[in-house]
Amino acid sequence: MREMKGDKNRMKSFSKRLSLLLVVLLAVSMLAGCASEAPAAETGEPAVEPIVIGYVGALSGETAVWGQAGMNGMELTAKEINDAGGILGRPIEVIGLDGKGDPIDSVNAYKKLVSQGAIAVVGTNFSSCNIPMAAVADQMEVPAIATAASNPLVTVDENGNLHPYSFRIGFIDPFQGRVLAAFAMDELDAKNAAVIMDLNSDYSAGVTEFFVEGFEAKGGEILTIVEAQSGQNDFRAQLSKIAPLDPDVILVPWIYKDVALIANQARELGIDAIFLGADGWDSKELITMAGASLEGCYYTSQPSFANPVTKPFYDAYVEMFDGLVPETEALFGHDGLYWIKDAIERAGEVDIAKLRDELETTTGFAGLLGDLTVDPATHNPDKSVSVYQIKDMTQTFVGDFRP
Amino acid sequence: MLLQQLINGISVGGIYALLATGYALIYSLLGFSNWAHGEVAMLGAYIGILSVTALQMPFIFAVILAVVGAGFISVFNEKIAYKRIRDNNSPTMFLMIAAMGLSTTFQNLAIVVFGPKFKMYPQILPVGAVKIGSLSVGLLDLVSLGIAIVAIIGLEYLITKTKFGLAVKAASSNMGTASLLGINVDKYIMLVFFLAGTLAGISGILYGMKYTVYPQLGNVALKAFIASVFGGLGSVQGAIVGAMSIGLLETLVSAYIHSGLRDLITFILLIAILLVRPTGLMGKDIQDKA
Repeated sequence: MREMKGDKNRMKSFSKRLSLLLVVLLAVSMLAGCASEAPAAETGEPAVEPIVIGYVGALSGETAVWGQAGMNGMELTAKEINDAGGILGRPIEVIGLDGKGDPIDSVNAYKKLVSQGAIAVVGTNFSSCNIPMAAVADQMEVPAIATAASNPLVTVDENGNLHPYSFRIGFIDPFQGRVLAAFAMDELDAKNAAVIMDLNSDYSAGVTEFFVEGFEAKGGEILTIVEAQSGQNDFRAQLSKIAPLDPDVILVPWIYKDVALIANQARELGIDAIFLGADGWDSKELITMAGASLEGCYYTSQPSFANPVTKPFYDAYVEMFDGLVPETEALFGHDGLYWIKDAIERAGEVDIAKLRDELETTTGFAGLLGDLTVDPATHNPDKSVSVYQIKDMTQTFVGDFRP
Repeated sequence: MLLQQLINGISVGGIYALLATGYALIYSLLGFSNWAHGEVAMLGAYIGILSVTALQMPFIFAVILAVVGAGFISVFNEKIAYKRIRDNNSPTMFLMIAAMGLSTTFQNLAIVVFGPKFKMYPQILPVGAVKIGSLSVGLLDLVSLGIAIVAIIGLEYLITKTKFGLAVKAASSNMGTASLLGINVDKYIMLVFFLAGTLAGISGILYGMKYTVYPQLGNVALKAFIASVFGGLGSVQGAIVGAMSIGLLETLVSAYIHSGLRDLITFILLIAILLVRPTGLMGKDIQDKA
């Protein structure tokens, strides 16, 4: 009985609340109506419909630090573009949805953004999210522009077919090998090189392949490629094969833990060559583990705030978000939005199919992450890569280099 | 080049040897493979690294603490698990299963407590090498080989020249008779576990200094186990010979055949030994032992 009564009471209060809610909604909609009419009345021009651009990133959860930075970067950039007159006279509206760093949530966020009228979607930084998103983008025919996602499958499927609506701002991992080869020959005057490669890692194999290709194309000599496995901890058997060849540089495309072991053991064996590596090196711990052995060595990474050209954006970001220090993902948001603006302006009108075509044929788009040229066959960008040197036990920015 | 590879192999084998002797000691006494042995080494390595980094202890005290600590952890394993199983007169197989349980427990505990990341000892010795002609021998390798040799000679002395050694040999020959003859078998078993633990502690520190410290560090004991099977389970000298052989074999396979085949060939060797000469190079009769 008591329960019945309770239910009735609850019903009563529910309907009361519902009617209150309706009243509030009505009031709000009237107010909103007034607000949207106001500027048009003031300026005397018809209201211009904004161009909607979506952003998917992890806005919550463990990886939210990147997603939020990307979103903030988009908002800051949208404000900048709108203050300067928008795109073809129309303002931009950025809508960010939470993909939680999860493939399913990210795909759903993409779909929702398309249904809200987005003409392009920027994000995410995870290959695991962008690989399924690429297939959906092909169906829905709205460009999805990945940020730092580096797996080749984001833009080209396993059978080698291009995802026509999937793009990326960052370079794919192996591309660093090509830049390292050019850097070794042009900047370090290396004539020959050796490679120690992880035979269980696609990453290591990819960087090695591009390095060898680039190095030999420029007339350099690869003395040897030795193979080892992550986790074996002792690399002296392999390094002893490199030692008597005395190469100018040694490519070490491994993750920092193995890099530290390889470097220390190589120095013990009397190898004094310069080591080169890719973004697997990018960890503060590498310095504590093997700083002395790696003194004077170089590695590549995604361009970041280390490049002085990003300073004005950095300052604007810190000011807009009350002293928050931006992550690199913010630069991806910035470049993504300007890249879309660039493509729409080249197309001369806001049309999704034309936007896609212009994105595909981009050459030399100047972003804060370096100049970007898209390979129409793979949608992979040819762009600059940041080179760092380990100097006095710190990671020092050397500059951005192109292959 | 070949000479350099032999030096590399010996230095890898030296660390296996310290672990393998601990296996051999316990096997000779209780007749089971103490799978938790590698985890004792891992915990020793962590005690050492935390004493140096978090507690800012001088290195030598950290080493003593780690070695003694590993000894006590080994005794703890004996008290909490193995002794109870023996007292229940359960089959030897139970000891091995308990050891596997302890191994998994310690490994996961280390992940929870210390985190899954790799830690590195601060550089006590500079990264450097002693050059002999075109050969180079790592400073740390020389030191660790020296320590391994001293530890193994000390162990040999303990077993062959002292009353402790005599009692252990008596107990391992026949525990019941030894007990009847007035030997406090439990006390000696405890002491053997302590000894094996300290050896594991030393190898844990050396391994950690040479490579890195991480929760799965104990898995290297699998190699030490193969070494002690190869040399003959239960034989301390055999364990040392086996460890050096495995170290050399691994290095030579990586250098002259293929890195990917390194572990494959080691395990094939293990199977071949078990088929052709089940007692190993210097082993005793292994009937009834697991």
